[in-house]
Amino acid sequence: MQNTLALVVTTPPNSNLTTSAINLVHAAIENNVKVIGVFFYQDGVLNAAKHLSIPSDEFQTLTQWQQLNSRYDVPLYLCISAAEKRGLTDELNNHEPSSHELSHEPSQETSNIDSVFTVSGLGELVELTSKAERVVQL
Amino acid sequence: MSDVTQATKTVAIVNTQAPFSSAAGKEALDAALIFGSFEQTISLFFIGDGVFQMIGDQNASSIAVKDYLKTFSALEFYDIENIYLCKESLNERNLPANFHIDNIQVLAQNEFSQRLHSHHVIYRF
Repeated sequence: MQNTLALVVTTPPNSNLTTSAINLVHAAIENNVKVIGVFFYQDGVLNAAKHLSIPSDEFQTLTQWQQLNSRYDVPLYLCISAAEKRGLTDELNNHEPSSHELSHEPSQETSNIDSVFTVSGLGELVELTSKAERVVQL
Repeated sequence: MSDVTQATKTVAIVNTQAPFSSAAGKEALDAALIFGSFEQTISLFFIGDGVFQMIGDQNASSIAVKDYLKTFSALEFYDIENIYLCKESLNERNLPANFHIDNIQVLAQNEFSQRLHSHHVIYRF
């Protein structure tokens, strides 16, 4: 049976620990370890922010997560309560528009979370912890 | 989520930070309660500045943060009874054993370490 790994990312995109997490996922895949999911918690949820623009000579964390998801089907689970605490939400239009917003075209955007991330909760962490043969937190 | 309850894994959550300078303590407690609600075997450990989270008579409202410490009293409703605190960390900070919840076991470093290592998965906050 194939070995399984779950990863918990608790550091923001500019942290080197996040880079290590991405490298670990790549190494796992190359060594035929199935990564059953990456769970983003604490400041790790900031990895899912859609609108951050990082200078091109810096490590492009979001691009890396997007590639891991699209090329290798690595599920990326976002803890929504930790995300909302830090200003990320998938229900942007649910708040009352301010007078400033009313004077402009209404925004069509309903989320500031990148679409490769699956909005979930701590129950997913329990599931991953229970299922994975090995759990690594960074 | 069907096979979650069949799991035999034991999970330790290690708290290493003081309660109100970051969200770490609250988010560790949130995680512990969810593990508890899924009937997972879960233990809480407090070491280093983490021991400050257990000290009684704290007044969070005076620094405009949410007081999550009272949520610790919910642990017993999820049958989370394994709560360990490092004796040396307490002594180094000159803190009295005045805790805001019952059931806390104060352990010397050796035993604290042994208990921690008996768990399958360790999360650190």
